[in-house]
Amino acid sequence: MLQKKVCMLGSFSVGKSSLVRRFVESMFDEQYHTTIGVKVDKKVVNANDEDLTLVLWDIYGEDVFQKMRMSYLRGMHGYLLVVDGTRRQTLDDALRLNDRVVSEIGKVPAVLALNKFDLTDQWEIEPDRETQLAAAGWTLERTSAKTGDAVEKAFLHLAQAIMAK
Amino acid sequence: MAEQAQRRAFEAQAQEKPTHNNHAYEELRHLIVAPEQEGIATIQERLDNLEKRTADVSVVVAEAIQMRREKGDDLALAAALAPTIQETLRESVRRDPHVLADALFPVMGPAIRKSIAETLRGMLESFNEALEHSLSWRGIKWRIEGFRTGKPFAEIVLMHSLLYRVEQVFLIHRETGLVLNHVVAPSAPAQDAAMVAGLLSAIQQFARDSFQPGQTENLGNMTFDELQIRVVSGPNAVIAAAIRGHAPEAYNLAMNETLEEIQRHYSSALAHFTGDPGPFRAAEPQIARLLETQYREKPPETRRPRAAMIAGAIAAVLLLGWAGYSTYLLIEWSRFLSELRKQPGIVVVSYTKDGRTFHIQGFRDPLSEDPKKLISQAGLDPDSADLQLAPYYSLDDAIVARRATALLHPPAGVTLSAKNGELIPEGSAPQNWIAQLEEKAPWIAGVSRVDESHLQNSSLRQLNALRGTLESVVLLFPLGRAELDSGQETNLAQSEKNIRALIAQAVPLRQVVTVELVGHTDITGVEAANLTLSRERADQIRAALLHNSVNSAILLPRGVGTSQPLHDESSEEGRRLNRSVTFKVTLSPLPAAGTASSASGAAPAN
Repeated sequence: MLQKKVCMLGSFSVGKSSLVRRFVESMFDEQYHTTIGVKVDKKVVNANDEDLTLVLWDIYGEDVFQKMRMSYLRGMHGYLLVVDGTRRQTLDDALRLNDRVVSEIGKVPAVLALNKFDLTDQWEIEPDRETQLAAAGWTLERTSAKTGDAVEKAFLHLAQAIMAK
Repeated sequence: MAEQAQRRAFEAQAQEKPTHNNHAYEELRHLIVAPEQEGIATIQERLDNLEKRTADVSVVVAEAIQMRREKGDDLALAAALAPTIQETLRESVRRDPHVLADALFPVMGPAIRKSIAETLRGMLESFNEALEHSLSWRGIKWRIEGFRTGKPFAEIVLMHSLLYRVEQVFLIHRETGLVLNHVVAPSAPAQDAAMVAGLLSAIQQFARDSFQPGQTENLGNMTFDELQIRVVSGPNAVIAAAIRGHAPEAYNLAMNETLEEIQRHYSSALAHFTGDPGPFRAAEPQIARLLETQYREKPPETRRPRAAMIAGAIAAVLLLGWAGYSTYLLIEWSRFLSELRKQPGIVVVSYTKDGRTFHIQGFRDPLSEDPKKLISQAGLDPDSADLQLAPYYSLDDAIVARRATALLHPPAGVTLSAKNGELIPEGSAPQNWIAQLEEKAPWIAGVSRVDESHLQNSSLRQLNALRGTLESVVLLFPLGRAELDSGQETNLAQSEKNIRALIAQAVPLRQVVTVELVGHTDITGVEAANLTLSRERADQIRAALLHNSVNSAILLPRGVGTSQPLHDESSEEGRRLNRSVTFKVTLSPLPAAGTASSASGAAPAN
């Protein structure tokens, strides 16, 4: 089966691990996050009629205490950039992070997941902003780890983008 | 250079003539030298133009070097190029060490290994030799090995304990951390290879970032209790092996060799890897070989065929059984022989064992125990004994007693024993047997004396009993008279019978019986009269006995009057008993044959 290395990127507590926890196969403890800053999981998706193993490197969210290790991104085939839709700041941080990733790793397929969409009343991302992002070439998905909305779709879109490359 | 000077002089000369025929001359000159001039100009330009000159040299540089080498002048060329090449390499490393490292990777590994292997071989060879020629029992073997090689025992044990099991081998794409191939040992637990490979890569990366920033070396070993992860890395691929136990360092050699082989065979596939592990399926036999190495350290003796081991065990058991049984027999026989030696009447001089037969030589008294019976009693097979026992007369006390018994036939109640040549009869025997004993005993082999102190003479006892009975009889008389009281006849008759029996029994005992008839009176009357009366009473009894044909010679009547009263006379009963006749028996040995008849036959006149 074809395998692809996919990284989960985004600020601290935007819900990366929640997305992973609910929709992927896990065998390692969450402790890996805090010890070495990454946890490896697996998700099998079917893209373009082909089964594909996504090896997910769920990378510890950046915060004031811990910088993300760029070396973990080496060789990745794509990434899911996760944003907390109820905190606009996380989108800005994510885009800055994205710039760093592109400058260091190069351009690889990516999907922008606007997570926590179940909290619509606290949503801070304006529709205009989404339009701008789409226009800039981003594949956007409004996901909810809580309800499961669009999570499969986000992974699927990413897998398709990787396969199309 | 000379040619150039000549040409310039010629041109100067031509310009100095501005005359009318200059044109014609110019034309002529042009016709004559123009082609050469153009050629010269072209050459001049090629010489002056650096770019062109470089292009020209580049065409011939390889051939020039080749030609120079063929001329056999290598050293000068090498010397000329060396500084440049050294500088080039240095610069290359300074810029990016990976380029050179990657280029050298396939040659460096083997070269380093070869050098290390050479160093180790000498040491290992001595070990291997020691191993091959050792005993099969491992513990002793290792001790002997330690002794032989002069190495500490612990080191020997350690060397032999390098048993390990490679449970899983991962072939991982270095850059992406994706698994290219994965093999698991039979019955070993297997995890999801994709996730394990990913996390292994992450840990490698973490270690590299945390402890060796800027370095490209990988974490070689990770140990978790009994499980060890060995990792070897190449430019594009990584092999990780999960090992339970302690694999020797040499195992890394095998990993490195496999990795280099894979790097070589799949260099293109590795460089252009996009996540498809398909091309690396063919590498499975190579990485599976790393699983097999676990059996390398197994001691060869465990591979012995089972049938041979069972046969060996049975043979060993039989051998042990046979040895045990033989030892048991030997012990039992030697115990029997020591018992046999204690037997009276048997002397063991020597014994030998010949196969299953025991030959026993010696002597045996016919009266001793039957040796065959003794063998049976000891639980041994009498047929396996060859007894060569010559007959003899034993002087053992027990045999002497047995012999005396056989010859003397002691009556019931009499036992014979012997001690140091003395025969000791015990019990009660009649006189005639005692006479026989005294006569025959000295003739019995082994008897030198007879101790009769424990032997009672039953005939003598009977004689004494009769004597006692007779002496207790009191024949009563009426007051003042010498005739028996009425009713005393029975007593008299019984006494008579007893006297006859006494005489008869005294004969074999060679005794002469004398019976005194003692007459008594009570104190009534004067003593002189009483003496007479007492004598009359005794005579009266004698007459009665003589009347019944009792030998008169042995009856001695006498009267004692009141001098020997039987009872005190304070009562009428006491006085009555004193009016009596009693018997007193005397036994004396029979005199010599000549006087015997007169003593027993002639009766005194009184």
